[in-house]
Amino acid sequence: MAGSAVSLYLDPQIRDWVLFPITMVMILVGVLRHYVVLLLQSSPQQLSRRAIREQRALARSQILRATAAHSPVPPSFYSAISRHLSQAYEAGSYLKDGPPKGDAPVTPPNPMSDPAAMDGMMAGLKTQMVMMVPQMVIMGWINFFFQGFVLIKLPFPLTLGFKSMLQRGIETPDMDVRWVSSLSWYFLNFFGLNGLYRLILGNENSADSSSAMASPFAAQQGAVAAAPVQDFNKLFKAELENLEFAEGIYSWAGDNIENRVLRKYGKLANR
Amino acid sequence: MSLSSALETLANYRANNTRASLDTFKKGAQVLKANAVSKLGDDSWDFLEQLMLAAIDIGRIDIADACLKQLSDKFPGSQRVEILQGIRIEATGSSEIQLQYYVQLLKADPTNAAAWKRMISVLRRNGELAEAVEELTLYLDTFYSDLEGWLELADIYSSCNRYTLALQSLSHALLLSPQNPFTVLQFAETAYTAGDLPLALKMFLLVIDMDDESAAKEPPQGYNIRAWYGIKLCTRRLIQSPSLGASSSSKTPVPKSLNAIEELATEQVLVAFRNKRDAGTKLNRDVTTRWMAAF
Repeated sequence: MAGSAVSLYLDPQIRDWVLFPITMVMILVGVLRHYVVLLLQSSPQQLSRRAIREQRALARSQILRATAAHSPVPPSFYSAISRHLSQAYEAGSYLKDGPPKGDAPVTPPNPMSDPAAMDGMMAGLKTQMVMMVPQMVIMGWINFFFQGFVLIKLPFPLTLGFKSMLQRGIETPDMDVRWVSSLSWYFLNFFGLNGLYRLILGNENSADSSSAMASPFAAQQGAVAAAPVQDFNKLFKAELENLEFAEGIYSWAGDNIENRVLRKYGKLANR
Repeated sequence: MSLSSALETLANYRANNTRASLDTFKKGAQVLKANAVSKLGDDSWDFLEQLMLAAIDIGRIDIADACLKQLSDKFPGSQRVEILQGIRIEATGSSEIQLQYYVQLLKADPTNAAAWKRMISVLRRNGELAEAVEELTLYLDTFYSDLEGWLELADIYSSCNRYTLALQSLSHALLLSPQNPFTVLQFAETAYTAGDLPLALKMFLLVIDMDDESAAKEPPQGYNIRAWYGIKLCTRRLIQSPSLGASSSSKTPVPKSLNAIEELATEQVLVAFRNKRDAGTKLNRDVTTRWMAAF
């Protein structure tokens, strides 16, 4: 068996001119990609005052409802606020673009027509491109120059099942599984360098592309989920009902408070 | 005092938002003299901000400028530094320049809440109350959940004797911080000033009720004494002239057990000053007893 272990001779030149360059290039491209993604990230969109107002309008009724069952606010003030809110929701006066026109057809906002939403999608696509393009280039480079190269020999034996993983690009049934081909070395690096990037660039790096590759549209989906296109008019109409419910359960903390305080100080017999 | 303990105190002030400007300045100057700013790491910027505000508070503009210079060199274009710059301008600049600065900040970014708030405070200081109220209502319409803003609005309204409007602002403040007895106390006192005695009485009682059960066994303290005084005032006036109870603009009913509440309030106010030996408390007790006896 000793003879078969040295049956293949690995030229040190392969180590110096193929193994190290591939590894170095992949690491450097990862680091570069991290910084390119940082450059590409557009600063978060500036919202206009009206847009902020629209976003936060729902919070008003939520704040009001949160304490409705034992509200610190006296009834006359509560009903004034509640009425004001329900009128505003009904009329749509919190909407960014003002109250809707009466005869305009009610359609959900189209993400393609909203420039803000388009920007979000474009940012996702740009990041995606930065992930994909360098990997394709590197893979082409390896395929073109180093196809069929055997780069290293693993110091431990493996079963035949690993053959397709470690000897991609070399179609020989007889070679020991311990020899690793250039293309396989590329894939090993591709999936295994994340730990190294984390060491170099910190935890929140965008150098690792394998996670993005695993689900090609992950970045895009993330971008869309982060900025959902909401139909505030619909949300406001739904909140109207909640407000009415809250008015039903409303009670002022000041009702019968005198008896509560008297009882607390022992001036009134406990019921 | 050693450097490390000075740094510790300063960090403590920062964490608790304490405005002990003179102390902060003295300790900060010590840190500056020891050249220890760079050793603070990321905390050094917080320290510089803190020292700058303290220096402005006690009028050492030179130190403030030095801090501001370092901060603006490190964070060019940062909104927080821009606000500090504005505070620096407020310290010496004329009111037009101050206002101009914030207007310009707001033009660049209409949603800069901090600049907006500072502009409102400048307006109020200049006595332009109408503009201040207008801007503040616009601000609160955008940033509804700003408790400080509602309290400020209530304060402005109170200062112009518009108590009904002040009460409305305070009711929003109550919604935003339902657990804060001070807001309730302020609401009660504003209602009392507005002449809505039954409502004021209820709100004063609410302050008392917010404490836990065990508080009832001890003499009242702090804001509770104030609340008991308020209860005493309300009940006394309601008993003397029952017609006052009918004039409640919020239609709050007068409690039936007025006399029992009045007795309890008298007892609690007196208890608050009992069993204390120091002269100030004794004086307070005598004054309180005489005040109680007058009715």
